Amino acid sequence: MTDLKLPWPKNYNEVPKEAFVRKDIYAEEVKRIFHGTEWHPVAHESELPTPGDFKTFRLAGVPLLIGRDVEGVVRVFYNACSHRGNQLETAVMGNKTEFECPYHRWLFDSKGDLVGCPNPREFLPGFNKADYPLAQPRFDIFFGLIFVTLSAQTESLLEYLGDSQNCLRELLAGDGRLKLLGYQKVRYDTNWKSYTDNDGYHAPLLHQAFKMLNWQGGQGRQYTATMRGHICFESALSVATGPSVLKDKSLIEFKGQDPAVGSRIVSLFPTFVSTKHLDVINLRFATPIDAETVEVHYAYFAHQDDDEDMVRHRLRQSSNLLGPCGLISMEDASIFHRIHIGNHTPGSAIFQKGVHDPLKLESEFLQNDESGNLPRWEYYRSIMGFERATA
Amino acid sequence: MIQADIPLEAALNALLLADAHALDSKDMPGWLGNYAEEEAASYICRSAENSEHGLAIGLMYDDCRARLEDRVTFVNDIWVGTFQDYRTRHFVQLTSYARIDSITVEMRSNFSVFMTPKDSGITQVLAAGEYLDRVRQGKNGELKLLSRRAELDTSVLPRYLVYPI
Repeated sequence: MTDLKLPWPKNYNEVPKEAFVRKDIYAEEVKRIFHGTEWHPVAHESELPTPGDFKTFRLAGVPLLIGRDVEGVVRVFYNACSHRGNQLETAVMGNKTEFECPYHRWLFDSKGDLVGCPNPREFLPGFNKADYPLAQPRFDIFFGLIFVTLSAQTESLLEYLGDSQNCLRELLAGDGRLKLLGYQKVRYDTNWKSYTDNDGYHAPLLHQAFKMLNWQGGQGRQYTATMRGHICFESALSVATGPSVLKDKSLIEFKGQDPAVGSRIVSLFPTFVSTKHLDVINLRFATPIDAETVEVHYAYFAHQDDDEDMVRHRLRQSSNLLGPCGLISMEDASIFHRIHIGNHTPGSAIFQKGVHDPLKLESEFLQNDESGNLPRWEYYRSIMGFERATA
Repeated sequence: MIQADIPLEAALNALLLADAHALDSKDMPGWLGNYAEEEAASYICRSAENSEHGLAIGLMYDDCRARLEDRVTFVNDIWVGTFQDYRTRHFVQLTSYARIDSITVEMRSNFSVFMTPKDSGITQVLAAGEYLDRVRQGKNGELKLLSRRAELDTSVLPRYLVYPI
């Protein structure tokens, strides 16, 4: 690890804007965070419902092949041939029981074992196919959500999730038995930290839809879990009242069963955001592309027990509500771009809403506070080795 | 197009160009006006990647006339002043058409859309793909879109979308 310097302010509610734009800091983040001791959600099992299904994904550049083998077991491999390292599978998703590298025709089964390679008699003496399976990163699964870590030192997944487990489980419909509806994929011109730094304060202010639909919020709980500051929102579902500017009200209609806590968000360090709002179940798999680009795959789900009407309702609501073109989210996308431009100015970003004492960190917040992001920033500062000023 | 129906082909091209013109002018009522006044009128914008895998989620899923009207409200009322605006240029090319019945025609066309954000001034491709349209012929012969599916080759958008593609 290089000894990177970035003067960090004394107050917990200040974040130096340089952290978002310096390329040397980004290179170090890849090492310390994306290749370091963190767990990264890369898929949900329901994206691979049948044996042979697979999905590919790049985690901060590292190509992954996530598949369900012929016996139905989910496995994660590096998407590179065990011979010379050629990218093995080029499709984004599909179904295969064998993966063949076209370069030298090495062939792997769905468990990652090398089952064929031409001309092995001319290889080094003692060559054994059993020594050349597809390499695997560490992975683990929480209610169907598949996590990868590229470090052997990362604690167990359950320890990593800590007190965010309940909220995440409920967001995954309580049992993780989801059914994939599809994707919206987009690149944002922003640093990955700006993408995840969205807060509870902005929602009723940026999103005019809330005001125009007389859609009241603010009654919920926001808390952070573990030293990493994973952020959980839990709030009673508020349904828009009064005359609507919308002619098709199904977009904001709630047909689910859990209005007491109808809205949840779980944001895990470093880049994962997931939300269950109205009847939308949305998992956002994100990865940095470079210091100023982040790619986000918004994956939408129904529940396996949904009847046909409910699946259709979720499909119609999911497509138009919370993605890169959604009624109450398109504006966020624009803010990601604008805040990245603004971060090329001197000084610090200042957090105010919900901050009681700039020298103390808290872990319970109100729904519309922005201070819920501060424990995560403190963890980021510490793992990057940036020193906080004492005066 | 084994047998060309020249007047029909000219009318279909006129409809394609009218839609491109409305979108590039940010004339949302004009965009809406290109759709048939039927409850079933629809506009769905979706990646070809989703469609190929039987996944129905769209980037915009306006599957009834009321949602088309709400799309105008999103752009003209709800989102005003919250985004970095951008110009677009749509290039469309009719590739095939077929008459389904006396009042309905199916047509396919290719599209590419350039965008130029007003702040950066840099032009880039926003999306490329295919329009799969069903067109309604009115009593006076005028053509309107009954349903349009914008099927995007672009599975990863380079930017959020404000306007329909």
